[in-house]
Amino acid sequence: MNRLFAIALITVTAAACNQSSGDDNVVNIYSARHYDSDAYVYDAFTAETGIEVNLIEAGGDLLIERIRTDGERSPADVVITVDASRLQRAEEAGLFAQTDFSALADGVQAHVIDPDGYWAGFALRTRVIAYNRETVDPSEISSYLDLADPRWQGQICIRSSDNAYNQSLLASIIAHHGEQAGEAWARSVVANFARAPQGGDTDQIRAIGAGECDIAVVNHYYYLRLAHSGDPATVELTDRIGLIFPSGNTGTHVNISGVGIAANAPHGENAEAFVRFLFSPEAQRAYAEIANEFPAVTGAAYDNADLRAFDGFEADTLNISELGDNAETARRVFDRVGWP
Amino acid sequence: MTFFRPGPALLGSLAALVAAGPILAVAWLGVTSPWDDYLTHLASTRLAGYIANTLIVSATAMLLAGLIGTLAGWAIARLEFPGRGLLEWALALPLAVPAYVAAYGWLDLTQAAGPLQTPLRESGLAVLTSWMPVVRGPVGAGFVFAVVLYPYVYLIARQAFSEQHPDLQHAARTLGASNWQSAMRVTFPLVRPAVIAGLALVAMESIADFGAVAHLGAPTLTVGVVRAWAGAGSVADAARLAIVLAFFAYIAFALERQSRSRARYGQAQGQQRPTERHALSGWPAGLVSLACLLPILLGLVIPLARLGYLAVTEPVARGVVPALLNSLLVASITAVIAAALGLGAAYAIRSGTRLGAFSARLASLGYAAPGAVAAVGALVLFAGLQMALDGLWGGQFPILLSATAGALVFAYLSRFAAVAIAPSETALARVNARLDDAAMTLGASRRRIATEIHWPLIFTGIAIAALMVFVEVMKELPATMILRPFNTDTLAVIAHNYAADERLGQAALPSLILVLACLPAMILAARSQSSRRSV
Repeated sequence: MNRLFAIALITVTAAACNQSSGDDNVVNIYSARHYDSDAYVYDAFTAETGIEVNLIEAGGDLLIERIRTDGERSPADVVITVDASRLQRAEEAGLFAQTDFSALADGVQAHVIDPDGYWAGFALRTRVIAYNRETVDPSEISSYLDLADPRWQGQICIRSSDNAYNQSLLASIIAHHGEQAGEAWARSVVANFARAPQGGDTDQIRAIGAGECDIAVVNHYYYLRLAHSGDPATVELTDRIGLIFPSGNTGTHVNISGVGIAANAPHGENAEAFVRFLFSPEAQRAYAEIANEFPAVTGAAYDNADLRAFDGFEADTLNISELGDNAETARRVFDRVGWP
Repeated sequence: MTFFRPGPALLGSLAALVAAGPILAVAWLGVTSPWDDYLTHLASTRLAGYIANTLIVSATAMLLAGLIGTLAGWAIARLEFPGRGLLEWALALPLAVPAYVAAYGWLDLTQAAGPLQTPLRESGLAVLTSWMPVVRGPVGAGFVFAVVLYPYVYLIARQAFSEQHPDLQHAARTLGASNWQSAMRVTFPLVRPAVIAGLALVAMESIADFGAVAHLGAPTLTVGVVRAWAGAGSVADAARLAIVLAFFAYIAFALERQSRSRARYGQAQGQQRPTERHALSGWPAGLVSLACLLPILLGLVIPLARLGYLAVTEPVARGVVPALLNSLLVASITAVIAAALGLGAAYAIRSGTRLGAFSARLASLGYAAPGAVAAVGALVLFAGLQMALDGLWGGQFPILLSATAGALVFAYLSRFAAVAIAPSETALARVNARLDDAAMTLGASRRRIATEIHWPLIFTGIAIAALMVFVEVMKELPATMILRPFNTDTLAVIAHNYAADERLGQAALPSLILVLACLPAMILAARSQSSRRSV
């Protein structure tokens, strides 16, 4: 027992001392994403620049806490996460260095860059309305506000309000129309629920197929992933379902996969090189082709016919930083209206 | 065995106090950070719902897991039937299935769009689908926890059943009790502390879980904690809610202690006699075999088979092999250290000192805190230590603590101390104090008592503690994610990343390998038990 104990201690100590000391040609990335597209981009970056990528993937909130408690000692160079309000919280926690994104991210739409210059979106994800082609006339829904219409009673499937994308959607409505209007909207949508929220976005789409609901609110890439799955039954399912990119009122709600350079980045130049690479034609193409996300750079080339078919939607041009400003209000509204 | 020399009680207490560090850091955060109105907002909106869900989820899980675990433990320990040898360890396997994996599998299987309801609807039998249960909501979540966590009860109860002296039943029979009466009034009451120790673990893990309850639409207090974290009060409010959760856990422990204090269950076990197993044949034997197979189907085979089926149409998961090696390494190291910790804490409790009992209970509370909050507690603790170290060093200390594998192992230990302590404690509690007294009278040193009397009697309990911690570490997510060194994935992390992206099929392979990687540990535990019996 004693010997085992000693061996364990030695192993732990050895492992503990085995950390890289930070003087190499590396960039340390803390990412809340874990898509195949990202692995591809990291490899391509290393191939092009010779800079090795060190990676930690964890939930966005955990990453923020890790960098905050590590403080000046944090090895983080670059922080990547999804959902604008999380980036805003990281900014408020003082994790980001101000960066001139106009120099690093040429051609990026202005509304997905933080006005204070702490972070920017490198790929776009829209929250759209999926509908059953047989039972719903898409011309009857031109904005998110239409989902509050009592005519859709018992027909809407949507996830829990714990979901960051729902929080940001309501935050955008509050930013445009005020808290009262947002609360009235959320209350009416809850009254139209087909079932208590459960599962992920894919489950909401499948629920339309099963006839549990006619309308679901989902991120567009889940639909495209199903459509590209190669499984005949799943592809047939997506054929029966359409997507509405709302063009009325304030347009289609856009959220981002975003990036910021850490305030205490030990490899600042490498971090800048990496961020520049995220907005390069090669990376933009990867996000569009592998992850089905819209490129943040206007006019970026990609080969994905289904995504291309949706491109050109009327995007909500509200600056993306407003989502974070209204996220807490949105969560409390959800709590008050009883959206689980 | 110098390990015990300076007084096992004191060492055990100190170790337990250190393990309690992260949960104390969480409490410190909750108390010292500024207050805002978030909690009052929560109290006036969703707090009641969170608490109700927490109670329903944990009660359902405890009820079902208690039933399954006790009956399975009894059947394996007391009956002889076809497949018993295999089922003995296979019944522990569902423990290796992360609860969220089972939740994804079960919801996908039973929901309206799933493979059970769809054929019915398509063949015009839609009427039938309305009464088909869907695994969702608080009861559904309780069911999922029960089928993956019952092994806690099973492992501890089986051990207790097989260590019960057969003379007790003989005495009951002599006094005219029927089989049924002797079971109800002698056999089962005697294993109650073991069952309750297992149930306390089931309760704590089910209230601390996030992934499964969030997916099944059964928001418990833990979901509230994670949500508060994103809110204005950030970590402070999450910490305060976590303290409420720890209070629930405290109640669970109080119940356990009370049930144990009513009676002393120590048995003279100077000479262990092999438990007599009642041989079954014919249809009762087949029935028991099937009944013991059922929990394995529910907790392991069905949810994983569903994910595996989805895997056929999806690309293969990346990086599984290095992740497997990482998982095995950290889980083995932690299991060994945790077993020592559990043993020390069990001695601390047995010593009867206030400090001993208090520190062991405190260390165990970490298990009931949501994993993410416990991970933050560890981060805060390391940040404090780092500052102290940097101060002593007079500059930046060359090692960043939070980036070491040691930090990870420490975080595991503090999170799973309860899992390590419970089996060791029950094992040690069954050793009659009179054995110590007798040995003492014969002039045996404390060390000799520990090595020659206690150790052979409690070895299996310690082994089970190590096994459970091993499996827990294999499954652990939040601490692993945030404290692991760069470029180091574990199986649980990979499985979770795919599942969180709603790529269930790709999550299947790492989940399956996770279960397979736990197999040797399970078989080892079963072996250690039977080999000891033949001594």
